Amino acid sequence: MANSPVVETKALTKRYGEFTALDSLSISVDAGHILGFIGPNGAGKTTTIRILVGLLRPTEGSATIAGADCVTQARKIKRLVGYMPDMFGSYDNMRVTEYLDFFGAAYGIGRRDRVKRVAEVLETTGAGYMKDLYVESLSHGMKQRIGIARTLLHDPQVLILDEPANGLDPQARIDMRELLLHLAEIGKTLIVTSHILPELSRICDTVAIITHGKLRAFGTQAEIMRQITQRRTFEVQLVERAQLEAANAIVMTSLGAGAEANVSTSETEGLVRFDSNLSDRELAGILASLLDKGVSVAQFREIPTDLEDAFLSVTSRDNETSTTERPAPAASSPEPV
Amino acid sequence: MNNPVIHREFVGILRNRKAIAMLIVMSIAFSLIVLLRWPTDGQVDLSGMRSQQVFRVFAYTLLAGVLFVIPAFPAVSFIQEKNKGTLALLLNSPLSSSTIFAGKLTGGLLFAVLLLLTSLPAAAACYAMGGIDLYSQFGLLYLVLLTCTMQYSTLALLISTYVQSTDAAVRMTYAAVFAFGILGTGPYYLLQGQAGTLPLIAWWLQAASPLTVVMDLVGHGDVGSLALMSEHSTLAEYFLLSAVSSLAFVMLTVSRLNHRLFDRARSKGTITDDRQVLARGFRRLFFLVDPQRRKSGIPFYANPVMVKEFRTRKFGRIHWLLRLVAGCAVLSLLLTFAATTGVVDWGVKTIGGFMVLLQIVLVVLITPSLASGLISAERESGGWELLRMTPMSPLKIVRGKLLSVIWTVGLILLATVPGYVVMIYIQPAMWLQVYLVMICLVLATVYTVCIAAAVGSLFQRTATATTSCYIVLILLFLSPLLIWMGRDAPFSHKAVEAALSINPTGAALSIIEAPGFEIYELVPGAWWVSGIISFAALLAFGGQVWRISRPA
Repeated sequence: MANSPVVETKALTKRYGEFTALDSLSISVDAGHILGFIGPNGAGKTTTIRILVGLLRPTEGSATIAGADCVTQARKIKRLVGYMPDMFGSYDNMRVTEYLDFFGAAYGIGRRDRVKRVAEVLETTGAGYMKDLYVESLSHGMKQRIGIARTLLHDPQVLILDEPANGLDPQARIDMRELLLHLAEIGKTLIVTSHILPELSRICDTVAIITHGKLRAFGTQAEIMRQITQRRTFEVQLVERAQLEAANAIVMTSLGAGAEANVSTSETEGLVRFDSNLSDRELAGILASLLDKGVSVAQFREIPTDLEDAFLSVTSRDNETSTTERPAPAASSPEPV
Repeated sequence: MNNPVIHREFVGILRNRKAIAMLIVMSIAFSLIVLLRWPTDGQVDLSGMRSQQVFRVFAYTLLAGVLFVIPAFPAVSFIQEKNKGTLALLLNSPLSSSTIFAGKLTGGLLFAVLLLLTSLPAAAACYAMGGIDLYSQFGLLYLVLLTCTMQYSTLALLISTYVQSTDAAVRMTYAAVFAFGILGTGPYYLLQGQAGTLPLIAWWLQAASPLTVVMDLVGHGDVGSLALMSEHSTLAEYFLLSAVSSLAFVMLTVSRLNHRLFDRARSKGTITDDRQVLARGFRRLFFLVDPQRRKSGIPFYANPVMVKEFRTRKFGRIHWLLRLVAGCAVLSLLLTFAATTGVVDWGVKTIGGFMVLLQIVLVVLITPSLASGLISAERESGGWELLRMTPMSPLKIVRGKLLSVIWTVGLILLATVPGYVVMIYIQPAMWLQVYLVMICLVLATVYTVCIAAAVGSLFQRTATATTSCYIVLILLFLSPLLIWMGRDAPFSHKAVEAALSINPTGAALSIIEAPGFEIYELVPGAWWVSGIISFAALLAFGGQVWRISRPA
């Protein structure tokens, strides 16, 4: 698959009077990739999405999808993008096939092709059994599937899904994850927003973390983790709890016992926990010191960080910044985490 | 206020800016009515005729306000709570069903009282003009209005427990209020003077209407009886019927306020095509056009939005349209049959007038329910965003939406044509009048559709849009008739003619030479006015759709 960016935003900004909803956002998504768009409520995710699909105009900056400008080529964008908002948009007294048939007709798909296409998208989304059901009687999970089927009707290149896993039960979430991976497999480029970060971490190639309208981290999951894990968390599990104080003192001394060391002990668990940006070699030195001083170490392990940690790390840092000073606008690239 | 629901309900209504606007508009309207007839010359009116004239208009305006403004609030009361999920919380709380109901009713009634209070300064001014009795006229009028408020509020609350959406609640409530309050008087006027069970039922029906009582109070008791004064006042019967019906509505509503409100199975989506031959045949016979058959795709020549509108509306489905059309056809033929067989001695012109009024009532009642939510329902459900994402232009969307309403209302109007055909058969000389009346009716349909669409597009919530549409249209269609009722006193011939020109009803009635309308020259003036208003409303609708279709 060619790794050319299909979705690209450059210094995208949206202001409502004094309030800046989106501040100089620059991201790009390659063809066939899934971008996880993460941020707390009111961070600017939906604003970005609505600009991308042509429902909002940016105050500054530009956004393109497959080379088409989201502002000046709105009609082209409608053909290129399949958009599923967080609100389903159901119509009463309509069966699923009628509902999809209507949107197919709205996209100008001919009657014969439409019948075929509706059957295809229902099969793709695993919703074939719902075809005769009334739309308003569907459960939330079923509606989400039909929503995705609707976005696929005109065979768009890019799918933009706003909170597709929101409110789904565990099984429906697994189904949704498989469906999104399947869509990426068949060549669709996906932008997915979600609050359920473990879900996103399993499917996304690229992640963008946004808070207060500003992009805080952007890249592949591995890149983001590297940025986040500049300070990693380690645990030393002791065999004997009586050695807890000694072990704590050795770790403190090895780390320099500065204010940034953030060393803690857990008496019940019998372990010492600390954050560090030391290299693996230096960490090996700490372990050697512990053993030399007769501390019986059962395990010396790194606590793995995941997308949730990355998100929390970024947002907590952002919260600290915003309580002291609002971040300066016009940053065209993500700030170092 | 020990009942927390009263507080929440009343404060909730008062926090609504539209409710405040309504209070202000009502108080201004009442003041204007009195101001219009306030004596400016040096003559003293010892007979009290002038104040009686003002009192009539004042009483009818107040009654219209009570009938068409107040029930809108309780109508959405339970269904709004149910859809938001707060009704389940209330029912799950230690509050009993009757406490919840009492809270809702009292909250609504307090607002209604506030609304009636806005008329007191105008009433005082009217009283100061002299000639009106404080107890037997003013006192009774307010008592009747309060009783009416109670009756229709309880009815609206009952309806609110049956429907599934807020706009359906508003539609059903207005239809019920109209049927009980105004249409109920119709059968008596047709059957009066006869003996038997049917005329007796008709008498009780009209006795249950506040319109009859208010007409008696203002000295218009002879209007419906065609110059024959009513035998006696129906006041006592009205109070009795109101009390009994209110009590019945209260008991029914309270009995419905339990878990069963939420106990509704999801539709299985049964399809006739998958059923056995016998069932298929029966449904074919019963429905003619079976709503549960699999639909073929939208054809290339049809506007998809129009088809979607037909399919998503309960009354838009063809089997319902057929029923509605058949009902209208039968009704119009019955009216003509009544005229020809001499059941009533009214003559073709009076029956023609009735038919015109019937058609206008149909148009005014049905059109807002179809047209007011054209845009607001989409915005409320999130469908508007999806429509904007399709390559369809706003013009195509507007066209589809308007066509869906015009087709429906047009079909219903067409169904009444057989009545006119019979009329021409009886009096062939009337063909030109019938032809001109048809133009008026078509114009009335266009006028109503455009105004309902324009007003409805201004709101984001369907219930608000529907209520506003009804209020605007009822104002436009009812106020000229109210002014006509005060023809020559207090309103001059010119004033009545000008008022009747703001919609095509007066023109249609004057063409058909309905009694009391034959003296007015309304064509082509009324056609021009209606045309200009329709065009302006259409432009406003188009402008609003264009505005909300553009990227913000």
